Amino acid sequence: MCPVIQAKDVHKRYVLGRNNYVDALRGVSLEIEPGEMVAVMGPSGSGKSTLLHILGCLDSLTAGEVWLDGRRVDNLSGRELVRLRREELGFIFQTFNLIPSLNALENVALAAQYAGKSRGAARQVALETLAAVNLPNHHQHRPSELSGGQQQRVAIARALVNRPKVIFGDEPTGNLDSASSEEIVALMKTINKAMGTTFVLVTHDPEVAGACGRVIHLLDGKVSS
Amino acid sequence: MQVLRNVFRRKVRVLLTISGITIGVLALVVMGSMAERISVMVSGGTRFYADKVTVTAEGGASMFGNSLLSLKKREEIKAVPGVLEVSASVGTLLDPEAGMSFGMPPILLGDDMRGDPYESFRIEYAAGRPLRAGELGSVVVGSDLVTRLGAEVGKQVTIRGEQFTVVGILDKTLTAPDMAVYMNLADAQRLFAQDLPEMIRSFVDVEDLVTTFTVYPAPGVDPEELAQTINETVSGVTATGPSFFQEQIANATRILNAILYGVAIISLVVGGLSVINTMTMSVSERTREIGVRKAIGASDRQIVRQFLTEAGVIGLLGGISGLVLGVIAATLGDIALARSNVDLFLVTPRLAIGSVVFAVVLGLVSGLYPSLHAARMRPVNALRYE
Repeated sequence: MCPVIQAKDVHKRYVLGRNNYVDALRGVSLEIEPGEMVAVMGPSGSGKSTLLHILGCLDSLTAGEVWLDGRRVDNLSGRELVRLRREELGFIFQTFNLIPSLNALENVALAAQYAGKSRGAARQVALETLAAVNLPNHHQHRPSELSGGQQQRVAIARALVNRPKVIFGDEPTGNLDSASSEEIVALMKTINKAMGTTFVLVTHDPEVAGACGRVIHLLDGKVSS
Repeated sequence: MQVLRNVFRRKVRVLLTISGITIGVLALVVMGSMAERISVMVSGGTRFYADKVTVTAEGGASMFGNSLLSLKKREEIKAVPGVLEVSASVGTLLDPEAGMSFGMPPILLGDDMRGDPYESFRIEYAAGRPLRAGELGSVVVGSDLVTRLGAEVGKQVTIRGEQFTVVGILDKTLTAPDMAVYMNLADAQRLFAQDLPEMIRSFVDVEDLVTTFTVYPAPGVDPEELAQTINETVSGVTATGPSFFQEQIANATRILNAILYGVAIISLVVGGLSVINTMTMSVSERTREIGVRKAIGASDRQIVRQFLTEAGVIGLLGGISGLVLGVIAATLGDIALARSNVDLFLVTPRLAIGSVVFAVVLGLVSGLYPSLHAARMRPVNALRYE
């Protein structure tokens, strides 16, 4: 079986000005198998978030290759990247990033609508997905009316609604208290086991790392262990 | 509904922007309705003059000019080949002391009615009947003058200090006849002569007074060519065909329309700039949201569509409220002016629809730059934005 994610000697250089640049990634290579739940850890500035954005096709790389599901993706056109983000990738964030003017159901349905589903079909699959993340009763609530843990459940439902192969998380428990953190970690674990969705989670939280099958440590833009 | 919620996320700001568009559309509707009123008046006038030649004293080719002709010229003109009939009339201001006013002043028109059988401009009567030839002491009153004169069929009205019996009241034509009182030539000649300066009056023969001849061409004769022939063969007169009137009016109204619409368009452009401002602010406030939308699968086109729709809705709301206020303003204006018999505003369907469509297009055009700006953001940069 081919790895679902493969990075080959990935470099990322941010050019800040003439002769002034930062090498955020200096040759990262890794492979992640389908169904894995992987934590990416490392001190601030080690390149964790940059790596996540590049693997998640949100950012371009300076050198190297990224393969998703046996297909090279770092050289794809904008249109193909949009399709990839819609159908194969999901994102969750530290600050949840729900759209404040939409209620929980609309936030989840939005991702399905972007993926081409009709309004009705999107609503239907959003309802099912909200039930799957144990949030069956807050459909009409706006994000501001939900607790942090509930918002992150909505965000996970939104990431999950198109049944992606991989869900990327950038500090998914960073803004949650320990009880909510535990619930969210348990939920991701359940989804990972039940649906085989691969999780790649950038985190500082040892509890998250402990729940993952593997931890990748980054230091100064390289994999250290 | 989601669009409206997004638009009204910043209520005060968006309401101010909508007000900007509203004021612009209000100006467009009010100014435009004045222009529409004029254009209806003009097109009526153009139709009225379409198939005939108007003859006035040489050099005095104004529509209600007081330059005088002699009735004796009638035979001379009638003798010109191609002339079917010539009617003589005296036209003057109804109220000689009347100052300048917007649109047409009320006029007094006395006619010998020889042209009636050939007249193509049909007028319907709201009440009563047409005036008969030679029926002295009787008048027909145009619809805009009914209240002003207190006219009623069978009753007396006072015109220039004399009593006349109203035999008919015209239907609204939206053009010149609305502001006219019609009487027989002899009555008009007498009233006209009374008002001439003492010195001149002693020299003129009242029954010979004419200000205008209307020439009806024989079938198949081109009125322009006939006007040319009359100018060449009859001395002391100026004959003008339909194109003269059309050109004169078209020039005057073109300039007036340009000014009216210009003022309105300027205020709309200001409104449009405030849409650009609002949408640009909205986009930069929502940079992070745009990044999230892209991360969960929005294409550039979907982002553009979202923000364009919001800008278009702002334009639509401004357009509708501007139209409503404009119609109210025009209606109130006409009610206020009804006393002085001025009908200033005409909100036509094409003006109403055009104003709203224009406001929406303005919103869309103004929203284009902010929307493209939003769509071009790289998702990761937008996500990092705080």
